[in-house]
Amino acid sequence: MDDEKRSYAALWLVMSLLLFVGALWAIADDNIFRRPWKKFQAEFNRLEIQHLKDAIAAEQQHLDADPAYQEATKTLAEAKTAVSSGEHARKIADLQRQLRQAQQQDQSKDLNLRFVKSELEELRFLYDDALHHGQPTEALLAKIQQREQLRTERQAIYSASQQGIEDLQNQIKTLESAVKTAQEAVDKLTATRDDIEQKLEGVSLGYLPGPKASPPFIGLDWQPKIPKIQQVVLEEFDRNNFDKPIARVDRCTSCHAGINKVGFEDEPNPWKTHPHRELLLGKHPPEKFGCTPCHGGQGPAVNSPEVAHGNFLDKNGHVENVEFIEQPLNRGTKVQASCLKCHAGVQHLEGAETIARGEHLFEELGCHGCHLVEGYDDLAKEDGVSAVGPSLRRIGAKVDHAWMVRWITNPHEFRPRTRMPNFMFQEEQAVQIAAFLLSATREPSETWLAAHPAPSAPGDAARGKELVETIGCRACHALSPDEVAGQLGANKDIAPNLSHIAEKTDARWIYNWIRNPRTYSAIARMPDLRLSDDEARAITAYLVTLGKKQPGPDDLETRLADPANVAAGERLVRKYGCPGCHDIPGMESESRIGVELSSFGSKTKEELFFGDRTDVPETWDDWTYNKLATPRTYATKWIEQVMPQFDLADEDIRALLVFLASRTDSKVPGRYVYHAPGADRVVAGRRLVARYNCTGCHVIEGTGGDIRRLYQDQLTLAPPILMGEGEKVQSDWLFNFVEAPVPIRPWLKLRMPTFHLAAPEANTVVGYFTALDQVTVPYVHIERAALNQANLEVGKLLTSKDYFDCFSCHQRGAVKPQGPPEGWAPDLALAHARLNPEWIVKWIHDPQKLMPGTKMPSFYPGGPPDVLGGDDDAQIRALRDYVVSLGLPDATPSPQQAAGVTTGGAGPSQ
Amino acid sequence: MRRELVLSAIALVAMAAVAGRSAAYEAVAVTDGGTLSGSVKFDGAPPAPAKIAVTKDPEVCGKEKVNPELLVGPGGGIANVLVVVKAAKGKKLEVPAQNPLFDQKTCEFNPHILVFPAGSTIDVQNSDGILHNIHTTSQTNPSANQAQPKYKPKIQIKVEKPEWPIKVQCDVHPWMAGFWVSAETPYVALTDASGAFKIVDLPPGDYDVEIWQEKLGKKTEKVSIKAKEETKVDWKLSKS
Repeated sequence: MDDEKRSYAALWLVMSLLLFVGALWAIADDNIFRRPWKKFQAEFNRLEIQHLKDAIAAEQQHLDADPAYQEATKTLAEAKTAVSSGEHARKIADLQRQLRQAQQQDQSKDLNLRFVKSELEELRFLYDDALHHGQPTEALLAKIQQREQLRTERQAIYSASQQGIEDLQNQIKTLESAVKTAQEAVDKLTATRDDIEQKLEGVSLGYLPGPKASPPFIGLDWQPKIPKIQQVVLEEFDRNNFDKPIARVDRCTSCHAGINKVGFEDEPNPWKTHPHRELLLGKHPPEKFGCTPCHGGQGPAVNSPEVAHGNFLDKNGHVENVEFIEQPLNRGTKVQASCLKCHAGVQHLEGAETIARGEHLFEELGCHGCHLVEGYDDLAKEDGVSAVGPSLRRIGAKVDHAWMVRWITNPHEFRPRTRMPNFMFQEEQAVQIAAFLLSATREPSETWLAAHPAPSAPGDAARGKELVETIGCRACHALSPDEVAGQLGANKDIAPNLSHIAEKTDARWIYNWIRNPRTYSAIARMPDLRLSDDEARAITAYLVTLGKKQPGPDDLETRLADPANVAAGERLVRKYGCPGCHDIPGMESESRIGVELSSFGSKTKEELFFGDRTDVPETWDDWTYNKLATPRTYATKWIEQVMPQFDLADEDIRALLVFLASRTDSKVPGRYVYHAPGADRVVAGRRLVARYNCTGCHVIEGTGGDIRRLYQDQLTLAPPILMGEGEKVQSDWLFNFVEAPVPIRPWLKLRMPTFHLAAPEANTVVGYFTALDQVTVPYVHIERAALNQANLEVGKLLTSKDYFDCFSCHQRGAVKPQGPPEGWAPDLALAHARLNPEWIVKWIHDPQKLMPGTKMPSFYPGGPPDVLGGDDDAQIRALRDYVVSLGLPDATPSPQQAAGVTTGGAGPSQ
Repeated sequence: MRRELVLSAIALVAMAAVAGRSAAYEAVAVTDGGTLSGSVKFDGAPPAPAKIAVTKDPEVCGKEKVNPELLVGPGGGIANVLVVVKAAKGKKLEVPAQNPLFDQKTCEFNPHILVFPAGSTIDVQNSDGILHNIHTTSQTNPSANQAQPKYKPKIQIKVEKPEWPIKVQCDVHPWMAGFWVSAETPYVALTDASGAFKIVDLPPGDYDVEIWQEKLGKKTEKVSIKAKEETKVDWKLSKS
């Protein structure tokens, strides 16, 4: 009973209130709290409107100050005044009144005409009908004629009325034309401002339009649009767990609304314009590539910036990860880790400088010697021997034993800039390793020594010094402790610093090594400079003056001979992975000792071992940075680490970190991948260029030419810049030249060395240069019969003393110029076999453009006016034909001729 | 303020500003200018003039030449020493109405060092009738390397920006070497055969003066110029 009387009003009220509050909260949560992007987008819209308004104001200010605009607006105002007042205005008003009248009358005239036309139609029908029914038609015909008469009259009246109206309109137009012309003049000046105003309308709310100058409602200036989710869908970009292609959705631009718009460079994020927008977004339009393929992060997430990014910057600027997010944003240069997903090569790729540096360091520091990385598994060993470090196969014939122990203990002590890392061995361990290496290489070392005796007599050290300084040694080698020749990364040398070479080795080894490094090591990077016996002895004599032998530990030889030490040394060599970089007898097929890094970039922090380093923040970046800076830092009392200390510079560590971040399993569908013609040949070529340090002498792809530091005052004595080499020389000539160089430039003391390249390597060089210049047909065929005889005569005349006097400097086979060879220029009799005829044309046009600093002067524009009518192009073609005819065999039948095929050859001039 | 000054200054000075000079030269009227005159002498026993053996075209060039790199007169005065007063302002730098002439005669550059106001067009003349080339090595201006065959006895090369020294060589005759001095101010002089020089119309004040000789290098001296007075100096250069 009581229950029925009990009032639930209070409960109901509370519940209703709760429900009401809950509903309010749900609406607010759905629209505001969980939609931070709305706020960002609205703010961007406001910013954009503000920018446009500022731009309009600035443009208006600019216009106001422009006398032309002042003049035009004045003219317009005057014209307007003229038509709205005075005699002019009265005339117009009068004409307009007449026009209105005429238009009214015109209507009735039109109507009268129509009536008579209708009557005519009716009468014609009645006439036909009467004719068909055999009734009389004469009366009807007469009526028709009468009506036709009437129609002609009324037609004339109507046409006259129409003409009258047009006349009146034209009169008004003429009177008002001054206004129109003045308005057009003003519009032309205000085009920029009007464009911006139109843009402003475009970004403002569509349904509140208003006159441009005044806002639509009081206090409701230009209204921002209602924020909308902006998204890019990349079809079939990702793969799900069943390996089926799925779309990737990026909604980043919902907040980053200004990313692809000019003018927001100085705004804070998320409104900022993309840095280097033109290059990066120009090549990768966001509507095609989205954002996350490069930047990472959670594309569809829009509820919180932290979750969408997967990480955030704490107040110290340190990157903090958000828990359980697998794809954190690539911040800073780390975004470059994505370049390698789609680009086959990143070297010389604009905007990819950091990862390019990281990739180069990874290869050149020999990381892949210990760590398996997909794509680099073949790189560590060539023909089954390690290629990163020098071969130790005959080390017993090379180094001083005491030096060897010091070097193994800490190589950075002897050469701070060596790329060999420091394994932090105790002296005891170093002796053991030396003992093993000397014992393992005893037999090959002794055999080599027997075949390579010491120089017959001591050489002239002064001449040796001069040779070292002039023939090109310094392109790679520094000679004093502070000098830097070729640099790897920020603080490593490409080739050994020779300032204390005599402490390390002796005259006999140096002499035999420099005569041909390949007789000592089949994988030597050092080339053969084709030294004569005299030259080799002179250089040896000079080099042995650099440094001197230092004593080693007591009874070193006894300890080195101790079999226990040899055995212990072998264990150490295996444990620390020395065969990863060095060729060591009996260890050719040792496996890599480090962990595989193929997918290291996708490792989560749970997969990384931080050891006792509780101070290191638990992120991939922090772990990797500290590992590269101090490789054994995560070792604990129970867990040993063997990775050596590289002593890398901070920027190099960060570059390597970016490269390691690029090592992931993710694959990008083919249509997103950049396919440049010849990309694989370019990548292979760059690797070879790095291996043999071609850039020590030559500037290639705009970098290198380290030795040019010594020729700043005399750039003509520096090695040639290899710009457009693929286009310049014939492929088969280049192949033969890199295999066996012949001197081309008699004035250079520097020597192009012989690298003893295997045929595939020489082919890589040719393929690289032709791919760089996108040469599609790398072959050239020239035959005398195909050359235009008249051209040859003109070319010969142009090269004569009266004109260009080419042979004042250029050698022509056996005919040599006056003066010493230093003043000569290349032998033109070689041109037909060496140069691409079309390149000769470009070269003669402007030599400085193709090789800045060249001794070859410009003869054009301004060829002699009395030859071929002063036509520069025709003269140059004649010179080309004459130059390729020099040294060309008279009549060697080509295979085509033998087969009866006619060919065009180099082509007569057009 | 500085920007306005540059804008209102003459075109040459504006060009110097474009060239990235930190302190552009400012043209002002000089009414009470002083004069700097004197000589530059060799410190020590004067070296005998060096000889160059001619290895090419002896019928035009002759057999032997005096090396013009370092010429010391009987009184110890050094020829061809460049004297540059580091003036921030002074009289207007005028491009000469008559183009400066740089002649190649008997395979020598004449003059050996050519001083001209920046913005000048040089008339490069080949009086020899054999192939020469004008090869300049510039940092600020574009380097030129133009052939001057027999049929082109005169070519013109404009040097827009102040720069010195610009090395000029002929690659056909390797001994032919000279210099161009594209001056930023009118207060630049070259010593004559006796080592004497004179610079007039200097606004009164204290100046750094750079003296440079191609073999002996560069040295900075200080002078004080008084209104309508002549300041005499006697400077020395030696082999370093």
